Amino acid sequence: MITTNPFAGLAEYGITPGMMMAFVILMVLAVVVGTALDVLHKKSHKYFFEHEERMKKLATRELSSAEKTSMLIQTITSEVLTSSEFHNPKRRLAHLLKMYGFVLFVLSSAVLIFAYPTTADAPFWAFLWHLGAIMVAIGGYWFFFSLRVDVQSEGNKWWNLKKRDLFIVSLLATVTFGLLWSLFGTVVLFALFIISTAVLFGSVYWSKFAHMFFKPAAAYQKRKLMADGSRENLPPFYKRAEVLDQSTMDLVRDIPKDQKFGLCIMKDEPKHY
Amino acid sequence: MPTFVYMTRCDGCGYCVDICPSDIMHIDDTWRRAYNLEPDMCWECYSCVKACPMHAIDVRGYADFCPLGHAVRVHRDEEEGIIAWRIKFRSGRIKDLVAPITTKPWGKFIPNLREVAPPTDEQRKSQLLFNEPKYIRLDDGDLYTLESQGLKMRQGVYY
Amino acid sequence: MAYKTIVVDNIDILVVGAGLSGTGAAWEARYWGQDKKIVIAEKANIYRSGAVAMGLYAINCYMGTRFGENNPEDHVRYARNDLMGMVREDLLFDMARHVDSAVHQFEEWGLPLMRDPETGKYQREGKWQIMIHGESYKPIVAMAAIKSADKVYNRICVTHLLMDEAKENRVAGAVGFNVRTGDFYVFKSKTVIVAAGGASMIYKPRSTGEGAGRVWYAPWSSGSAYGLLIQAGAKMTQMENRIVLARFKDGYGPVGAYFLHLKTYTQNAYGEEYESHWYDELKKMVGEYIDHHPVPTCLRNHALIREVLAGRGPIHMVTMHSFQDPHLEEVGWHNFLGMTVGQAVLWAANDVDPKCENPELTTSEPYVMGSHATGCGAWVSGPEDVSPPEYFWGYNRMTTVHGLFGAGDAAGGTPHAFSSGSFTEGRLAAKAACQYIDDGKAEGIVVSERQIEELREKIYKPLENYKIWRNEIVAGTVSPTVLLPKQGLIRMQKIMDEYCGGVSMQYMTNERLLNIGLMKLQLLKEDMEMLAAADLHELLRCWELHHRVLTSEAVMHHTLFRKETRWPGYYYRGDHLYLDDENWHVLTVSRRDPKTGEYTMEKAPLYHIVGDVEEEYEKKKKAKKKAS
Ligand SMILES: Cc1cc2nc3c(=O)[nH]c(=O)nc-3n(C[C@H](O)[C@H](O)[C@H](O)COP(=O)(O)OP(=O)(O)OC[C@H]3O[C@@H](n4cnc5c(N)ncnc54)[C@H](O)[C@@H]3O)c2cc1C
Ligand code: SF4
Ligand code: SF4
Repeated sequence: MITTNPFAGLAEYGITPGMMMAFVILMVLAVVVGTALDVLHKKSHKYFFEHEERMKKLATRELSSAEKTSMLIQTITSEVLTSSEFHNPKRRLAHLLKMYGFVLFVLSSAVLIFAYPTTADAPFWAFLWHLGAIMVAIGGYWFFFSLRVDVQSEGNKWWNLKKRDLFIVSLLATVTFGLLWSLFGTVVLFALFIISTAVLFGSVYWSKFAHMFFKPAAAYQKRKLMADGSRENLPPFYKRAEVLDQSTMDLVRDIPKDQKFGLCIMKDEPKHY
Repeated sequence: MPTFVYMTRCDGCGYCVDICPSDIMHIDDTWRRAYNLEPDMCWECYSCVKACPMHAIDVRGYADFCPLGHAVRVHRDEEEGIIAWRIKFRSGRIKDLVAPITTKPWGKFIPNLREVAPPTDEQRKSQLLFNEPKYIRLDDGDLYTLESQGLKMRQGVYY
Repeated sequence: MAYKTIVVDNIDILVVGAGLSGTGAAWEARYWGQDKKIVIAEKANIYRSGAVAMGLYAINCYMGTRFGENNPEDHVRYARNDLMGMVREDLLFDMARHVDSAVHQFEEWGLPLMRDPETGKYQREGKWQIMIHGESYKPIVAMAAIKSADKVYNRICVTHLLMDEAKENRVAGAVGFNVRTGDFYVFKSKTVIVAAGGASMIYKPRSTGEGAGRVWYAPWSSGSAYGLLIQAGAKMTQMENRIVLARFKDGYGPVGAYFLHLKTYTQNAYGEEYESHWYDELKKMVGEYIDHHPVPTCLRNHALIREVLAGRGPIHMVTMHSFQDPHLEEVGWHNFLGMTVGQAVLWAANDVDPKCENPELTTSEPYVMGSHATGCGAWVSGPEDVSPPEYFWGYNRMTTVHGLFGAGDAAGGTPHAFSSGSFTEGRLAAKAACQYIDDGKAEGIVVSERQIEELREKIYKPLENYKIWRNEIVAGTVSPTVLLPKQGLIRMQKIMDEYCGGVSMQYMTNERLLNIGLMKLQLLKEDMEMLAAADLHELLRCWELHHRVLTSEAVMHHTLFRKETRWPGYYYRGDHLYLDDENWHVLTVSRRDPKTGEYTMEKAPLYHIVGDVEEEYEKKKKAKKKAS
């Protein structure tokens, strides 16, 4: 089952390995073109650099290239690899499941289609393909039904879909139909799988797919701006002990320096309704 | 518009939607990120700004009377019990300020009134509230009355 | 429509609106009703709702009897003087004798109250105000309310009160809708404490673009307390007593700390003291009230308004002296960041450095509320041991509807209560509500399905209107059939501004203007049957507008009734430009018949607290008279 290469039996529907390979290449192109259009049309890259230039003027110190490299590495190991920018642990976990699942799924699809186009027996990659799809499904449905902000904080019903849901819906459809097709092997399920995949990768320009590319860049930029003193105009994130000499602090001066007060508003999930 | 959200900073967590007293922070239909949908009903109360874990919300003073190029940004830390502000003037001048927001662990010293000794009948019939008369002056004296203060209620014009 | 109906049954005490007075009510109710069911229905998120959402830098009402500073009757005299005599002194005395106990508990809960390093007393800003680091004032009192309540229903916009069908004029609960899910909520309750706050945006604001949001009182202060009470047929008092604030221009940043603590002062464009220019005029208008100390807020406004009209504006706050002291400068900035951040934003944007220039002051558009230097609100019973018979009908802070209580902005005739006094009033109302139930006054309440169904239909009508009538037009906001809430709001503000003494009329009105205004409001009310809401957010705005319009109508009727100019600087009756103690040293009381919508107005006697101070004063006056 989950160690069988689902793509091996495609000849039954008259689909040749060449066609599948062409499809994959087409999808890659769609993503590249969609992202390029997104960037060019919206001039998001321009904003990005101009914002950085503007903030540089406020910088209080220059970053060395060693520092920048180390920040780049931190961005990769922290924000990119562990989604550390998510404040809510549930959302972070769901995101990690979706992200790693997706990477496994896409990678193993490519390997299976290009390296094992007709071999049913490719247990390692086939397992990764199924595992990836299941991870995306777990993270994705969790997100879809209860963590989506419009469901969690706006109180919308989960079936109330908007344009913003194009990405998550096509992603879930892709892995769901993919798994079902692998399980039952009907041509209808395969067709649905292919259609959802096409929507997922073909809609980059309209969906929030492109966020995969600009999020890490934005995270890296944030790190740099916080370090060079411009801080995007934010005040320093003091600990209480660091500011006790200020005249406003007389009332709390005698409290043990490392005492934490716990949480108040931020204790609850953001769904007060 | 009074508050606005930086596209690359917001992660759609919903704290601002949840907290805004004016119900104007909402999630955009295309980007699943927050935005201010009714800027002329925004008080610049900063409730959402303070609650945003990503510092994704900022304020651009009301267009009616605020030239561009300024910033008033904030970091509110409940664990540390402090709030830090940075004011950036149009001229580029910067002013940093800090203040405490609590002196005690949140909520710990608020008594649970289900569990305190219930009021006596006498207290019920009196004019006293919970913890009174003690808490009025933190002494043993009683509640003020017209008699105790040598006062009367009278009609007429008095200044 | 797919919205569910959710019935919350068997409530003993329903608190509508959990701002400062509502949190006080819910918290205290638990002590007197340890086994009672206490429920809060709040339009926003209790942690940051109401006028204190942003925080406060001062508690404006604290006696300090503990430090031998003031007695409750001193505060009554102060408020009486400031409001030109028109206050409910029984309620004020009662609030003032309890308020310190609330403040002492706030400190125990963790609210940072500043201390004077030398005396150890609370740091005074002025005679009544103490300074706090109150950024989290609201979250702190919210935690107290949450601890006491059985349940807090957030994001419920309460639209109507439920009325008992077994006994006339008795409350039975409230209904509203959830602004997020849209579900219809029915709260069946033995008593209701309305604590839904005052009213901003009644009058056309000075800033009409984005800046319309920078109102002095919060934009979410939708007059719901008044709307709900008026709809239920409760009597209202002093609704003509709208307030105009002299504040920093555009940002409406607070001036209290500036005047009192930082010792700044005002001058006209030419650097002159100007209040004395208007002494003679005011003496003619209000007689001896102008000689009182401190000079009543409205009379100081009058001088400011007249000086600007005389061409000697703008009026400046002289900050350049005090702000040379870096400590005082810091206090000035903290004061804004603590309660009106927008003022700091405004100065940052305009590069205003109060060390180097004297910022402008202005008078705001009028506001309708009852806890600052004005006392609009419901006609409520006072405490048994203080109130004269006309002011007492059994339960402290109960309105003229049985089982229906009011506190904070909702209770009339109690100005200068501010945050701490509002919290205290909530506590008083809660104790009385428990007593009312224990006395068996809430037995046998009947609410029919029909009453509930009718309200349900009414509440969602704007959504229905929108759905149907948007088919009529291609796109856009112009429809020949329906009215959007924003359009209705702006129309109401224009009517109030031009006919009921708003800022563009320099606060002037008269009988003819008011009658036209009432007629125009009537047309607006008819059109509001066709209010349309595209979504739940707009539905919220529709119901806020309903409450604001009900408030406006009451303000008009009261303004029409009082045929004098009691508060020059708040508003002027051009046809009666003088204060008239002979005929109008009374409180105005109104009632709108819930069935017909007709208003009836009456005068209620004004009782004053009289002690040595007053008797001394009378004696001196008589002696003076004799001498001349
Ligand atoms: C700018 C400014 C500065 C001030 N400065 C000070 C100061 O320095 N010191 C001081 O002591 N006081 C100050 N005050 C006054 C103080 O804030 C008020 O007196 C006090 O908050 C009034 O309390 P309240 O409970 O009547 O109203 P609010 O605190 O406004 O509470 C009303 C509550 O009702 C809710 N509500 C409204 N409509 C509905 C509805 N339809 N359904 C359900 N819930 C609803 C609201 O969301 C809110 O939570 C200031 C006020 C302002 C605006
Ligand atoms: S709180 Fe901040 S990060 Fe969260 S949704 Fe709002 S703006 Fe985005
Ligand atoms: S500043 Fe206040 S009113 Fe404005 S969006 Fe934020 S929470 Fe809402």
